[in-house]
Amino acid sequence: MSSLSKLTKNENMKIYRRPRTWLMIGFLLLAVGLMSFLLKWDEKGHDQTDWKQNLTQQNVHMQKQLQENKDLDADDKTRINDTIKLNEYYLDHDLDPSELSLWSYVNISASLIILVTILTVIIAADMIAAEFSWGTIKLLLVGPASRTKIMLSKYIATFSFALLLLLICFATAFAAGGILEGFNGLTQPHVTITDGVIHEGSMIVNALQKYAYSIVSLFMYVTMAFMISSAFRSSSMAIAFSLLFMLVGNSLSGILRGYDWVKYLLFSNIDLTQYLEGSAPLRPEMTMSFSILMLLAYYVVFQLLAWLLFTKRDVAA
Amino acid sequence: MSEAVLSLRNLTKTIGRRNIVDNLTFDIPAGEVFGFLGPNGAGKTTTIRMIVGLISMTKGEAIIKGVSVRSHFELAMTHVGAIVENPEMYKFLTGYQNLVHFARRHNGVTKARIDEVVALLGLQNRIHEKVKRYSLGMRQRLGVAQAILHRPSLLILDEPTNGLDPAGIRELRDYLRKLTKEEGISVIVSSHLLSEMELMCDRVAIIQSGKLVDIRSLQETRDTAQSKIVIETGDMHAAQRLLASAFDSALLSMSNGQLELAAEKSVIPHITKLLVSADIDVLGIHAVQKSLEEQFLEITGGEMVV
Repeated sequence: MSSLSKLTKNENMKIYRRPRTWLMIGFLLLAVGLMSFLLKWDEKGHDQTDWKQNLTQQNVHMQKQLQENKDLDADDKTRINDTIKLNEYYLDHDLDPSELSLWSYVNISASLIILVTILTVIIAADMIAAEFSWGTIKLLLVGPASRTKIMLSKYIATFSFALLLLLICFATAFAAGGILEGFNGLTQPHVTITDGVIHEGSMIVNALQKYAYSIVSLFMYVTMAFMISSAFRSSSMAIAFSLLFMLVGNSLSGILRGYDWVKYLLFSNIDLTQYLEGSAPLRPEMTMSFSILMLLAYYVVFQLLAWLLFTKRDVAA
Repeated sequence: MSEAVLSLRNLTKTIGRRNIVDNLTFDIPAGEVFGFLGPNGAGKTTTIRMIVGLISMTKGEAIIKGVSVRSHFELAMTHVGAIVENPEMYKFLTGYQNLVHFARRHNGVTKARIDEVVALLGLQNRIHEKVKRYSLGMRQRLGVAQAILHRPSLLILDEPTNGLDPAGIRELRDYLRKLTKEEGISVIVSSHLLSEMELMCDRVAIIQSGKLVDIRSLQETRDTAQSKIVIETGDMHAAQRLLASAFDSALLSMSNGQLELAAEKSVIPHITKLLVSADIDVLGIHAVQKSLEEQFLEITGGEMVV
């Protein structure tokens, strides 16, 4: 009987022996490189010698605003106060907030996880459907491995690929940041302010948090693509539908936000950053725990459907 | 009789209200090349796919070496090697990588065993080339290699010669013969090509509309086949009159300008003497066995098998 680890090895072989996979990895490297270059190029446009003067002026201006403008509401007041405090902190610690550090590169690379998601969705959508397109499904299934085991090995291989892309994304952004800005920014704290108190956090924790939110949606979209892959037995159909759902879904729930039921859509819950400070959820009654529950429910349904479609259907053609 | 390698018990597949495969029950003993024969759509492929788990069984059971396919699929499949139609391989992998892929599914297939199988099928020269550059015949050989890596007791071939040219079919047949001899494997083959089955199989099951019509040994069939004698002469009418008087006229018939007499070979000298003494020019006399095809057409009620 086949062992799961050997089956997963097989699936990995089928991913990495295809030139397409290496094109994708190359594309991701290129994207991180381009992004780093643009970031650096954009910085050159700013004059940074008098940043202290600028911050001081900004603070004076805001103090004045606070005193003169009587009809500011409480929110605006705290926001302005916080900014003043942060600016003072920067001045005290001789820390230019607009100066790029290696962490700027890592943080902005989190926005490239959408690319990682698209690439992994393509791989996931192809995972089962391609075996049908190639006709290899028959020989794959006629062996001492249950369909459940085969499916699991494919799922594991897909997520190892996602993990690899994430690592590449993080590592290249880190390296690019280090090369362009020097590695001395490594120990720089992540400065935040809550309730008027300055916190010095860890930059790496902050970066990982940014990654984590994007990974939630990566996880959901890839699982969805995997289900679509076992529903359609043609890889081009599976890839097309997965990408379509992924790209149209978000704007769809944006357009339909006026309706009450939109909160039950996958796409309305997939972005958990909507519950972070400074942004508003899609619908006012939605909460973080509601979304997490919805995502869990979708996950279970996707997995169950994928499993049923893959293990219960006859392979006739 | 040795233990059955494969036993089917009331195997049934129902789609909609139609029984594609209807209550098949029979045993296949070890060490045999066994054929499934039947017209297109008779349920051969469905039966084979149920045995290997590609299609679910509606009712009944398939037992491979005492292991139920339904309840212990993984264990049952360790005894089976299969080629389902033209074996499609991963074209972006080399032949060797494909074999590694299939070897990994089984326990205890060593590198040495892979090399041995590659040599057995004469693939060693091109095994490290990508499969997309293989001819259909080579892919077929790679398919056989894949199926025998783990030394199965039962080799299942579903329409293995579809799309192969005559040379390829012959090659495959030779390999199968070699395998049954050298590795002691039992083989199940399905096909609608009778001539091919005739050359490959020891016994055949004839299936029609999902039902088992008959199981017969091809050797016996050949032995008991009725023969006829075909006679060609210079004056066919005179010959016909003469023979009608000597034999039962019901046994005599005329087709394509030739006389046909349903009789054994042993009467040929007698016929020759008769004709010669009546001064009729003899152009040819030979005995012909009723072909298997004709016999099977009789069994399947005239439905075309080929």
